Amino acid sequence: MSLTDDRAALDQWYTLGALQDFPAGAEVPSRLLGEDLTVRRLTDDVEVRAAGRALPVRTDYGHLWTSFGTPERDLFELPESREPDRRWIHCGPVRVRASGLRLVENFLDLAHFPYVHTDILGSEAHPEVARYEVEQRRDVDELWATKCEFYQPKAAAASDEGQISKYMYRVVSPFNVMLYKTPPTAPDRWDVIALFVQPADEAVSVAHAFMLVIDLTSTDAELSAFQQMIFVQDKIVLENQRPSLLPLQPGRETPTRADLSSVLYRRWLKEKQLRFGTEPRTDLQSTDLPHA
Amino acid sequence: MADWIPIALSRDVPVGITRAVIVDTREVMIWRGEDGVAQVWEDRCPHRGMRLSLGFVRGNALNCLYHGWQYGAGANCLRIPAHPDLTVPPTIRANAYAATETGGMVWMSSDSADPPPLLPALTPVITLAIEAAPERVLAALGGSTAEPLIGLPFAGGTLQLGWHRAHAAKTMLHATGAGADIAAATAHLRALRQSLEQEAAA
Amino acid sequence: MPKLYDYVLSGSCYKVRLLLSLLGIAYETQAVDFFPGREHKRPEFLALNPLGQLPVFEDAGLVLRDAQAILCHLANTYDASGQWLPRDVRFGSVMMWLSFAGGELMAISGARMIAMLNYAGDLAALQAKARAALRLLDDHLADRAQAGGLWLVGATPTIADIAMFPYVALSHDAGIGHEDYPAINLWQRQVRKLPGFVGMPGVPDYF
Repeated sequence: MSLTDDRAALDQWYTLGALQDFPAGAEVPSRLLGEDLTVRRLTDDVEVRAAGRALPVRTDYGHLWTSFGTPERDLFELPESREPDRRWIHCGPVRVRASGLRLVENFLDLAHFPYVHTDILGSEAHPEVARYEVEQRRDVDELWATKCEFYQPKAAAASDEGQISKYMYRVVSPFNVMLYKTPPTAPDRWDVIALFVQPADEAVSVAHAFMLVIDLTSTDAELSAFQQMIFVQDKIVLENQRPSLLPLQPGRETPTRADLSSVLYRRWLKEKQLRFGTEPRTDLQSTDLPHA
Repeated sequence: MADWIPIALSRDVPVGITRAVIVDTREVMIWRGEDGVAQVWEDRCPHRGMRLSLGFVRGNALNCLYHGWQYGAGANCLRIPAHPDLTVPPTIRANAYAATETGGMVWMSSDSADPPPLLPALTPVITLAIEAAPERVLAALGGSTAEPLIGLPFAGGTLQLGWHRAHAAKTMLHATGAGADIAAATAHLRALRQSLEQEAAA
Repeated sequence: MPKLYDYVLSGSCYKVRLLLSLLGIAYETQAVDFFPGREHKRPEFLALNPLGQLPVFEDAGLVLRDAQAILCHLANTYDASGQWLPRDVRFGSVMMWLSFAGGELMAISGARMIAMLNYAGDLAALQAKARAALRLLDDHLADRAQAGGLWLVGATPTIADIAMFPYVALSHDAGIGHEDYPAINLWQRQVRKLPGFVGMPGVPDYF
């Protein structure tokens, strides 16, 4: 497979990983949108090259970002990254044999908590997903799901007991998503948990989980282990969804009211005419086909 | 009869279990609830495409691992846990194949116009995955890919072998027998597997 | 209280967690940042286990490494019934499977680290070794099932089953499904039905 011709996918920012994973002087191979890359970290600068060409680079939020195209917007804002009392936890890259869009959609999903994260983020006795609100914020081109609530037996590494967790979800680009949730120890703040997906190929993704949390008790290893546990519980689901590519064609899957954020996400992807990581459609006239 | 395909030994699908099977590159799954009836479905939950073979059986229902959607023996969705009060519309269903059991094997059909075969119940021997094309395996056994069964005289008894194509280069063999020494039959078939695979790899 | 130096995604640590749970033993854990932190290669951890491997188990002054050795210790110390580590004719067979679990079957672990955590190595070669190990297991379990047996050795579960289960169940992380192994499918279900069974990420509790 070679670099995609999907304009909507090319004109985005993607992370290639935490800056700390690129040691100075070393040349590290990577992959994005079907194309091989090399990353070279000089003393202060990072250089990303693909097929002999230098790509644009950003180094915000402890991560390395690049793009093959010309993104319409600069990187998203993350104001919590400026709060001095937050712990920055990089959970390490995990490779998943699935479309990155499947990863984002799963990240937005509450209804799987009792079954995939049993007795941690959900319990079978409390499976109901209460109505929540979704909106497309056109000024920043972000999707938000708000007023989400779910009963959680162990909401975070520092939890001693169950709680009704409050969540907000924020999709900042097709492959980058984050959630805000109430920390067990600071009910007036929001923990931030981000999932930055590096779509290596259409059905192979590298997930970079990143947390900006308020937690005075847990060790870094405990915080990272908690998030890795959650993510790898999701991995078995993600690798066993069929098709591996996200279907955008109506009728291929069966959303319910609990899937409101997924419905909005898929509509937004269609609006962007994004194709990379989506199942080829058979319901479009040739004139409707997204152009590269 | 050629429309019906044997895909497992009945013994290997007891009550309460799920089993994933690849049939001619299609992912299908078998499960058996407390009513004892083997079900053969497309290995895919209609909600989010999750493979149902990773799900779990409770009573007479199959539950998807992802969101706990529950399906009855008729393949209709009975319950969506995220909406406990919802009466699930009858249009939400898993994709079921026609299934039957005969001759100690589970059979499936995607076009069950013909009646299923009727075979005497034989003793289950073993299911073997052989990394070789069905044409080669059937030729070595003196059978034909046009027929789902091979009868093989063996050590004073008979072996009845069902087979299905997993993909072009992998054959699943489901052996049953009558009056045959099961340990000797198993050893014989494993030796056959080894020689066929060596030949396929050469 | 016994202490397990633990990494949540490690199949070898899971062997120990599973037996601790089945035996109902209270213990504490210390999370080791195996990935991405490589804490198991730092001097403090190497002082506990010079091999730089997980798990490590501390119990009443003992410091043990190697999952199979720890399973033996737990059965020897805490299982008064003798069921999990039988001292009769079954003993040698249990040891044989423990050795296989820490040997040939670890090809699955190697393939899993490459496929999932991008470790360096020859994925196809390890997958071929993993398939060979799974076939050997499936053949053995098919023979056992034919004789009416549910477990690897004898009429009851032993630490052989517990040492083998984790990486067999995790093989999908290494890109290997269980479609070819009907006897393994049956055996896994028996293990999951044991009172006190716990899963791990990649090994769902539901079955």
